Amino acid sequence: MDTIKNELQMNSFDRVLDKLCLTPIGLAGLILLLILPFIPPFNQEYILRWLIYCGFIAAMSVGFDFTAGYINIVNFGYMAVAGTGGYTSALLVINAGLSPWIAMVAGGVSSAILGLVIGMISLRLRGIFAACLSWFFGLAVMGLAVKMVWLTRGPLGLRVPRLFETESNFPFYFLIIILVYLTYLICKWVVRSKMGLAFQAIGQNMDAARTSGIDPVFYRVFNFTMSCAIAGVLGGFYAHFYGILTPDMMHTSKTVEVLAVAYIGGRGSLWGGAVVAFPFIFLMEIVRSTLSNLPGLNLVIYALVLILVMIYYPGGFSYFYDTHIRQPKNRALRYFLNGRDV
Amino acid sequence: MSKNYMSHILPWLKTAPGMSIAISIVVAVAATIDAGPYLLVNMVVTGGMLALVATGLTLMLGVLNIPMFAHGEYFMIGSLIAYYIFTPISEFILEHPESWLVTFGPFIAIIGALVGGAIAGAISEKLVFGPLRRRSTDNWVMNSFLLTVGLSVLLINLHQLIFGADFKGIVGYWQGMPISIADVYVSKDRVMAFIISAVIVALFYLFMTYTRTGMAIRAVSQDITGAEIVGIDIEKIVLLTIALACALAGVAGGSLLFMYPSYPTVGLEPLYMAWFVVILSGLGNILGAVTGAFIVALLKVITMEYVGAGWDFVVPSALIMFILIFKPSGIFGSDVRGVLDK
Repeated sequence: MDTIKNELQMNSFDRVLDKLCLTPIGLAGLILLLILPFIPPFNQEYILRWLIYCGFIAAMSVGFDFTAGYINIVNFGYMAVAGTGGYTSALLVINAGLSPWIAMVAGGVSSAILGLVIGMISLRLRGIFAACLSWFFGLAVMGLAVKMVWLTRGPLGLRVPRLFETESNFPFYFLIIILVYLTYLICKWVVRSKMGLAFQAIGQNMDAARTSGIDPVFYRVFNFTMSCAIAGVLGGFYAHFYGILTPDMMHTSKTVEVLAVAYIGGRGSLWGGAVVAFPFIFLMEIVRSTLSNLPGLNLVIYALVLILVMIYYPGGFSYFYDTHIRQPKNRALRYFLNGRDV
Repeated sequence: MSKNYMSHILPWLKTAPGMSIAISIVVAVAATIDAGPYLLVNMVVTGGMLALVATGLTLMLGVLNIPMFAHGEYFMIGSLIAYYIFTPISEFILEHPESWLVTFGPFIAIIGALVGGAIAGAISEKLVFGPLRRRSTDNWVMNSFLLTVGLSVLLINLHQLIFGADFKGIVGYWQGMPISIADVYVSKDRVMAFIISAVIVALFYLFMTYTRTGMAIRAVSQDITGAEIVGIDIEKIVLLTIALACALAGVAGGSLLFMYPSYPTVGLEPLYMAWFVVILSGLGNILGAVTGAFIVALLKVITMEYVGAGWDFVVPSALIMFILIFKPSGIFGSDVRGVLDK
C-alpha cells in the first residue's frame, strides 16, 4: 500500500527521475559533467583527455562494484576482461573492416563469454579463492595477448582506428559520460529488481541464500557475465579512443586502479566509485604531470589514500555520504539530496 | 613386509596429494631424460626460492588470515638491502682479494636482507595491520587483502621515488669456477642459493614444530580465542608471524640478487608464483607449500623448455585453474576452510 501511495504523491518529474535512478543532486552532477568541457580551464584538449580517463575509470568501477559490492567476489582480472573486449573490437575493425561501433558491441559479447567461463569455473570457490581464480585467469589472458604476436603484435601494440574521425576529444568526452551513466543505469535497474536482493543474499551468506530457495549458480554466473560484458564494451571504447592497444592495459596494476576507486567510493553503492573517480583521478593526473620529476608520487598518494580509507573508513565515500550528509534538517535540501522518497 | 608397505602406498597414490606428487615425479624424470639434467637443476633452484616465498605467504594466510598481495615487495626490500650492503663489500674485495670477506661477505648481505625483511614486516604490522585489526575485524579477509594491495602499490612507488627505477644488480656473490653436477655446470651462487633456502626452510619447519613459540603460532592459527585463554600473548605472536613471513621473503630476495636485480616491480613475478603455489597446495600447510613450490617450479621449467619463454604464466595458471575446478581447496588442503571463505 505504502509504495502505491508514494507513487501517487510523486509528480511526473520525480517519477522520471526515479525511473532514471537519479536524485536531484545526481541530475545536477550529470548536467555539470555535460557542460564541464565548455568552462574555461576544462576546455583544453589535454585536460579533456584526463577527464575521459576519469570517465573510463568511473564506468569501470561501477561495473566492478556490481560484482564486488553485491555478490562479494572481487574480480581481480577485471582489466584483463576489458582488454579482451578491446582486443576483439580492435581486431574486428582492423581485419574484418567492421565499423568500430558494431565492433565495440562484439567486444562486449566476447567479454561476456569470458565472464561466463570465469563465473562457471569459479562457482565452487568462494571469497579469496574466487578472487585468485579470476586473477590467474587475467594473468593467463594477458600472457596470451603478449605471446600471440601474429594476432596482437604483442608488446608493440596494435594501432586501432578511432571512433570519431576528428582530432578533437569532445565527442569522446560526451560518449564516455553517456557510457558512465548507462552503465550505472543498467546496473541499478538490475540491482533494484528482485535480482539485486538475490545478489545481496548470496554475497552475505551463500548457504542461507541457498536455503531460502535462491539458485546461486544462475545469479552468480549472470552477475559475472553482465559485469564482464560492461567491461568489454568499455575496453572497446578505451581501444578506439587511445588508438593504440598494448597488453599493458590488462595488467593487474590497472585492475588495482579500478578497485581502489571502487572501494574508496564505497562498495555496494554503484554510484560511489563513479562520483569519486572524477575528482580523485583528476587530481592524480595533475600531480603526475606537474611533479614529473618525482615519478611515482601520484601512485604513492593513491596507495596511501587506499590504505587510510581501508583502515579508518572501510565503508568509503558512499557510507560517509549516507551517514553525515544525507539527512539534513532543511526539507528542500533533503529533497535535493534524496529525491522524493517515503 | 614389502607387501604391507605396498598396501600403504597404493591408497595414498589414489589421493590427490599422492597422485599429483607421483605425476610430477614421473614428468620430471621423463623431461630430464628427454631434455637433459639441467632441467632438473633449474627446477630445484627455482623451487627452493619459491618455497621460501610461498612458506611466508602460507604463514600469513594460515595464521593471520591475511591474503598477502604485498609479499613480493618484501622480496624487493630484501634484494635492495642486499644490494646496498654488498656493493661496498665487493669494492673492498676488489682491493683486498685475500680478505675473509670473499667468502663471508655475501652472507652478511643475505643476513642483512633477512633482518631488513623482518623489520619491514614488523613496521607494516605496527602501522597498517595492527590499526585495522584494532578497529574492526568484520570482513577481515577482504579488507586486509585490499590493504595489502595498497601496501604493494605504496612500496613499489616508494622504491621508484627514492631509489629510481633502474636495475640495481650485481654480477655474482661468490667468484670462481662453476660447480659441475651430473654434467651440468651450475654457478656457485645458484648452489648456495639453494642450500640457503633449504637450510632456512628446514630450520623454519623445526621451529614451527618443536619450539614453544612455534607451537604458539600454530595454536593461534587454529583458534585465536583458545590461544588467548591459555595465556598466549596474541599481539606478540602476530608481530612475530608477520616479521617471520616477511623475513622469509626478504632472504629469498637477498640470496637471489644475482638473478633478479632490484628494481621497483621485481617482486611481482615471485608473488604470482607464490600465489600459484599457495592456491595449488592449499592453505596453512608448510610441507604442502614446499612440495607445491617444487611442482610449480617443475611446471614453469617444463613450460619454458617445451612451449617457450613467456608462456610461463599462461600454462601453469591454466593448469592450476583446471585443478581448482576438481579440488577447490587445493591439493594438500583440507576441506574445512572457514574464515577464508568470506
